[in-house]
Amino acid sequence: MFDQIAKYTKKLLADRSASCNGIAFAAQDDVMIAEGSPALGHLAGQVLSLLNAQALVAARPSLPFADFLVRRSPVGESLILPGDTETRTFLHDIPFIRKGEQSTDLPSRIVSLLKQRKGLLVEGVGIFALGAMTVEQAYINYSSIFHATFVKYLLDILRDGLLLADEEQGLHDFRANWLHPLSVAALLFRPSLALADKHVITEEMATVGRYTVECGLVDSCFGNISCLSDDTIYISQTGSSLDELEGCIDPVPIDNSSTAGITASSELPAHRRIYETSSARVILHAHPKFAVIMSLLCEEQNCPISDCWKECSKIRFLGNTPLVAGEIGVGGLARRVPPVIAGPGRAVVYGHGVFTTGKTGFAEAFHSLVEVENWCREEYFRRIDSKLF
Amino acid sequence: MYGWTGRIVKVDLTRGDSWSEQIPSELLHSYLGGRGLGVRLMRDHFRLDPFDPQLPLIFVVGPLCGTVAPASSILSIVSRSPLTGTISSSSSGSSFAAGLKNAGYDALFITGESERPVIITITPDGVAIVAAETLWGRTAGETLSALAGSGNVAAIGPAGENRVLFAGITSGRGINAGRGGLGAVMGGKRLKAVVAKGGIKTAVADEKRLLQAGENGMRLFRASPFLFGEMGVNEYGTPALVDLMELRRVTPTENFRKSSFPCSRNYSGPAIRRAYKAIKSDYCDCPIKCGKISDNGLLLPEYDAVSHFGALIGNGNLESIVKANALCSELGMDAVSTAATLSAWGEWRGSFPSAGELPRLILDLAMRRGEGDLLAEGSRRAMAVLGRPELSMSVKSLELPACDPRGSYGTALAYCTSNRGGCYLGAYPVSHEILRKPVPTDRFSFSGKARIIAIAEDTYAAGDSIGVCRLALLGASLEEYGEMLAAVIGIEQTAGELQQAGARIHLTERFYNAANGFEVKDDSLPERFYRESGSGGEGVEIPPIDRRRFDEELQKYYRIRGLTPGGTFEDIAFLDEQP
Repeated sequence: MFDQIAKYTKKLLADRSASCNGIAFAAQDDVMIAEGSPALGHLAGQVLSLLNAQALVAARPSLPFADFLVRRSPVGESLILPGDTETRTFLHDIPFIRKGEQSTDLPSRIVSLLKQRKGLLVEGVGIFALGAMTVEQAYINYSSIFHATFVKYLLDILRDGLLLADEEQGLHDFRANWLHPLSVAALLFRPSLALADKHVITEEMATVGRYTVECGLVDSCFGNISCLSDDTIYISQTGSSLDELEGCIDPVPIDNSSTAGITASSELPAHRRIYETSSARVILHAHPKFAVIMSLLCEEQNCPISDCWKECSKIRFLGNTPLVAGEIGVGGLARRVPPVIAGPGRAVVYGHGVFTTGKTGFAEAFHSLVEVENWCREEYFRRIDSKLF
Repeated sequence: MYGWTGRIVKVDLTRGDSWSEQIPSELLHSYLGGRGLGVRLMRDHFRLDPFDPQLPLIFVVGPLCGTVAPASSILSIVSRSPLTGTISSSSSGSSFAAGLKNAGYDALFITGESERPVIITITPDGVAIVAAETLWGRTAGETLSALAGSGNVAAIGPAGENRVLFAGITSGRGINAGRGGLGAVMGGKRLKAVVAKGGIKTAVADEKRLLQAGENGMRLFRASPFLFGEMGVNEYGTPALVDLMELRRVTPTENFRKSSFPCSRNYSGPAIRRAYKAIKSDYCDCPIKCGKISDNGLLLPEYDAVSHFGALIGNGNLESIVKANALCSELGMDAVSTAATLSAWGEWRGSFPSAGELPRLILDLAMRRGEGDLLAEGSRRAMAVLGRPELSMSVKSLELPACDPRGSYGTALAYCTSNRGGCYLGAYPVSHEILRKPVPTDRFSFSGKARIIAIAEDTYAAGDSIGVCRLALLGASLEEYGEMLAAVIGIEQTAGELQQAGARIHLTERFYNAANGFEVKDDSLPERFYRESGSGGEGVEIPPIDRRRFDEELQKYYRIRGLTPGGTFEDIAFLDEQP
């Protein structure tokens, strides 16, 4: 397990979601091991020893947003409810423990919450995320919580403004230091995959998948990518990390004559419909954070719909990119995205992420993805500047 | 009381008597229902011989049964297996579970042995034990049809009557709770069928919360490629696995001599759909709808059956596979053990059963005619008598299902730690080693698998006990089902608490087995897997399992479980310390 801990510590640093000296993993097989920051590692080991699980990550997020969310929460509240799809589908809500509640037996408090949820926030300490079966699972849950708190905090301040004295400085530091310009300038793509063989296609998919992660457009095991070639859809497997796609791409016959691709991404139905209804030959799907934030910013007044992720049938626009609702898998996304993506080659899904397409290769799809995220980022800061300053 | 009815009905077939009792609420909370409650109810009886008239045969349901919680109306049948000698629980998704609950009971506890064939009828008004000479000798399907008008039925076929050691109990539209041979226990009691019906509704503490929690579970089902994807079990049934298992080279072929069978494409999910115009069965009230029927109502085989009547005996003829499965269903016999026993016998005689031979062999086996009488004892006993015990591909006498452990090391371990013998359903490592859920693990590595298996065993034991379909736990988790349970019973239940209950249930089963003499030597695979390679290809090698690493991981498992190196209990008072 030491190699797994080293691998996912490196990933937390690479995606800049955790502070470099604030990461610890505990893992247990028949013995317990704890690696990383000594204080966090000790606490993580104490917690994990009381749980029926394989691994736990305890890490201090690289941004103060999680702590801000806890401190902004009304007195008496004990959880946050982010609106992004990763939370809604897999986490449900994120409990927290305030500083003032940490004086007595913190490990037991954390354990009791981890018996019902995959992760939690401990104010001033960090994010604790459980891996029931593997170290990777702990990393995935950490990433989802980081993503969720990022999205919720920036959305909340756009709606409600700054409430705490140190938020303005935090936001300034985030913009000045954490946020990097998003560009495709240094990236190389094959111009066309039209006549490419399986080896070339899967190699290009792996390359583009890695670009997507390295640019921060998707985290952990989320997102998916595909390419249509003759009568086969090559698509990333469910639960695969886009930066580790070698050996994790399923060839799925377009006529469903084999079910060997049952491990294909849960978004296969959406990919298939897009290929059936457009001239797309490649599809890229990621969870870029500002697109997710802006998708959740609905200004509809007196709307009767309560379950926006599932029931909203409206087509809104983020710039020139259509935005629709629809849950993952066969939960509606596969029905609502194909009709709107055929023309512009890009679409945003409410609370979820972005789909883009290319007619020959991934350059077009990747450029579109970056354009959508850059537009959303600019629009977000235009609005926040106008509201706050 | 919310969720549970809190009542058990007991029937003594020797005396022809019945009565009902309250179930102590401490037992319901500690063992949940279903498999867990059944196992707890065996505490005073687990040492009895499987054919001792006083051995209980227990039908039991969970607290979610009868509610809108998705995929949660599973029936568990618990007793001691005549095939393996272990504690045994077998489950099925059929309407009988709801029938028992609607009659006002969480459990039916049957002891004794009737002098003549009978059926038991259970309603809220009472229990009737009725003569059933006219049904004795009839197939399970005929019996279900004959009694359909009286309520929800669970019945045995001729195999159970003839004490075939892997006879099952059939309910609904032909669904067999087959593994472990509890149909033979039922036949030994001369009990042909049980009929249950009533109008008692399951009380739910918080309907609104249950709907929300159920929707959270359904969202995960819809997000699961294996459950609701285009190639998933909702579309093709569990034969959706055929192509993938073949691609991964874990298709047990010719009695596990090989692990690849190219003709498996003849009986893949799409092939079955094309040939039989398969549609979704409505045999149980479950959104996953893994059961498929043909356009003329024939129940089509599930994955293990289709693979074992196919590759395991080297048979690529779909029609013969479907017929063999249907015959097992009619005769009331576990298709997995039937096919695996015939496979071992085929290797012994030097030729595997042909498609044409299958119907006669299956019939002889169920009727204990000719060589069928020996084969009805299961592969371990039969091969021992024939002088080739190594040909039985079983663990603790239970024939292995359709995943070659040489290509799935978690499965190798799970086959051996399963309390009912060679079965993967107790931990289902296929989920992460083959299907990549909830996260992928390296199928050729034992690293970390001991704890993963222990955790999964606890999870599935809890799921079996609240009455959740095992497939459902490949989409949703105990987190979502804990929320549903809390909404139903009105008491908070976390995933962690459910896992604790699951561990208690699993260890109780293990304690019973240990007390009956099972130990480390029984937690071992057939020699073939340590000595022979499977069928590699397309860049995949399937080498023999490294016995040293297997044994090392098994010892890790024992340490995690708090067992001795011999796989037994240091604390002989373990049971006394449990509720």
